[in-house]
Amino acid sequence: MSGGASLPDFVRRGLPAALLLVVAASMVATVSPAEVAHRGSLLLRSLAGETITDFERTGFWFDPAYGAFLEGVRRRTPKDATIAIVVPPRPDAYVYQAAYQLAPRRVVERGRESEATFVAAYRYQYPAGSNPNVTALPGGALFRRR
Amino acid sequence: MTFLDGVLRVLGGSLAAVAVGYACVRFLTPGLHRSEKLAWSFATGLLVQAILFVLLSSVFPGLGALPILAIDGAIVAASFLARRPLPPSRPVEPGNAGLMARGDRQALVVALLAIAAVGWLIFLVAALSEPMWATDYLAMWGLKGKTIFETGFIPRRLFQDPALYWGRPDHPLFVPLSLATLASLSGGWQDQALALLFPLCELATLCALYGFLSRRVSPLAGATAAAFTALSFSLYRAANSGLAEIPLAFALVLASAPFFDVLETGSRPAMTRLFLASLLSAWIKPEGTLFVLLLAGVLWVRQRFRLVDTWKSGGWAPVVPPVLHASLMFLLCRPQPVREFDLTFFEPRRWSELLSRFGTVLARILGTEVPRVWIPLLAISLFLLVTRRGLADPLLAVFALQILGYLAAFSISSFDPIWKVDSCFQRITATLLPAFALVLGARVAGERRAADRLTSSPGNEGSGTTRPAPETAEQVAHTLLEIRPAGYLDERCRVW
Repeated sequence: MSGGASLPDFVRRGLPAALLLVVAASMVATVSPAEVAHRGSLLLRSLAGETITDFERTGFWFDPAYGAFLEGVRRRTPKDATIAIVVPPRPDAYVYQAAYQLAPRRVVERGRESEATFVAAYRYQYPAGSNPNVTALPGGALFRRR
Repeated sequence: MTFLDGVLRVLGGSLAAVAVGYACVRFLTPGLHRSEKLAWSFATGLLVQAILFVLLSSVFPGLGALPILAIDGAIVAASFLARRPLPPSRPVEPGNAGLMARGDRQALVVALLAIAAVGWLIFLVAALSEPMWATDYLAMWGLKGKTIFETGFIPRRLFQDPALYWGRPDHPLFVPLSLATLASLSGGWQDQALALLFPLCELATLCALYGFLSRRVSPLAGATAAAFTALSFSLYRAANSGLAEIPLAFALVLASAPFFDVLETGSRPAMTRLFLASLLSAWIKPEGTLFVLLLAGVLWVRQRFRLVDTWKSGGWAPVVPPVLHASLMFLLCRPQPVREFDLTFFEPRRWSELLSRFGTVLARILGTEVPRVWIPLLAISLFLLVTRRGLADPLLAVFALQILGYLAAFSISSFDPIWKVDSCFQRITATLLPAFALVLGARVAGERRAADRLTSSPGNEGSGTTRPAPETAEQVAHTLLEIRPAGYLDERCRVW
C-alpha cells in the first residue's frame, strides 16, 4: 500500500492525479449529453407550468395509455377501497404502477377478487349498457362488486 | 399546486428540517467544519421529522403538518434558550488540516468544487425532470410513503398484507417517512417536486465529505472527494431518484466521519454523532445496518477483541441503533414472511448447493459487472498502490466485507442469483462510492503533503516550492499538529 515511498517525485505528484483523471473520465463517459438536454427541456417545461404527458414519462414506458386508465379508476373509487386489477401479466410494472397511483387504496392482483370492492379491468371493452355497477373508463372498465 | 410551487414548498420543508436539525445537533458539532455542520443539521432534521411523524401520527392520526411544525418551533426555541455550544476557540474534535489552501492549491480546490457543482446540477436536472418512476420507488419506497401520507399514519398492512408481498415489508421506513413528512409540510403529494429530497441528500453528502476532509486532512482532500462523488453518475442518476440508495450513501459518509473522530479522540460528541449516523443508516436500508456493524467490528479489532473496552471506546454507538431498529420492527411488524432469502441454504445438506451458488454469483460479477468498469477499477487499484496510506484506509476492509456480504446475500436469495446480480449489484455497490471518496481524498492530500515536506526540507530548499514560514501562533500550532496530529488544546500545548 505504501509502495509510493520509493517513487521519484514527479511520479509521486503526477501519477495519482493522472489515475484519478482516468477514473473521472470513465465516470463522465457514462453521461449522455442528449439525455441531459432532454431532461433539461422537460424540467424547463415543468417549471413553466406545463404537464408532462404519460407518453413522455419514463414511468409508463411499457404502456403510455395505462396512466389515463389508472387516473379514471382513482377518480371513481374511495380512498378506503380495495381494488382488484386485471392487467397484462408482464411487465410487473402494471401492478406496481396501479398500487402506487391508486394509493392509499388497497390493490390486489388477479385471484384475490373476493377481497375487493371494485374490479378494474384494463384493455376490456365494456359493451354499452345500463348496468349501474359498471363504468366505462379510458382503455377499460370499472366494476363495483358490493 | 404548480410544479414550481411544489418545489419551493419541499425546499421550505427541507429548510425547516435543517433548522430543527441544527437546533438539536449544535451541541454535538463544536469544532466541525461549517459544511459538516450543515450536513449534520440536514440529517438530524430529517431524523427528527420522521420520528415526530411516527409519534404524532400514532397519537393523532391524520392531523397533518401543523403539530410537526409546532414541535419543530419548540425544539428550535428550546435549543437557543439552552446553553450555548462550546466556543470555536476550544475545539473538541481533531482538526489537523494545518496547511490551508493557498495559491495554486486554492485554485485547484476551487476548480474541483466547481466540478462537484456541475455534477450536482446534472443530477438535480435529472431528478426533477419528471415524476419519480423507478420500479423500486413505485413498488416500495414511493408506495409506502404515499400510503402513509394519504392515510396520516402507518397502516399495519404495509407490513402484513399478503397482497403486498412484492413490496419488501421488511425494509425500514425512513425514506417513506421522509417523503410523507415533506409531503405533509409542502401541502400535497407531488412526486416530481418531492424528488428534490434526493439532490438535497447528494448536496449534504458533498458538504459532509468536503467538511470532514477539510478539517481532518486538507481542503484539497475535501474538494477531491466532493468532485469524485459528484461525478459518480452510476449512483446519482434519474433511475435512482426515489430510491433509498442516495440517502443511504449520505448516511454511510456520515457514519464514517465520526467513526474516524471516535478512533482519534473517543470524544462523547463524536460517539453521539456516530450513534445518530448509525440510526440513520439502519433506518434506511439493511445494507446500512451491515455497514455500521462492520464499523463496530473494526473498533473491536482495534481493541484487540476486548468487548468491554470496545463498548467503552464507542462500540455501542454503531451497535445499539441497528439492534433497537431490528427489535422494533420485530415487535411491531411481525409476523413477516422471509420471502427474499432462503435460510435453508445454511443447513448442512445444502452447503454444496450454497457453494455452487456463491460460485455462480462470483462468476457473474466477474463476467459481466467487472468488465464494464475495468478501466476505472485498474486506475483505482494503481492509485492505491502508488499513494501513501491515508486517514480513511480502515474503510477499505469494511468495503471488501460489505461487498462479500452482498455476494452472500445473492447466494441465499430465494430468486435466481444471476437475476439478483444483474438487477441489484451495480446499484447497491454504488452506494459505497461517496464513502470510498473519503479514502481517495485522504490519500491525494497525503501525497501532496508528503511531496511538500520533501521539497521544503533543508536538503531540498533549492527546489523552489518551500512552505511559507508560519506567521501567527495559530499557524505555528497547526504546523506542529501536522507533524503530530492532536486534537485537544492541552495536547497541542504539550507538543508546543
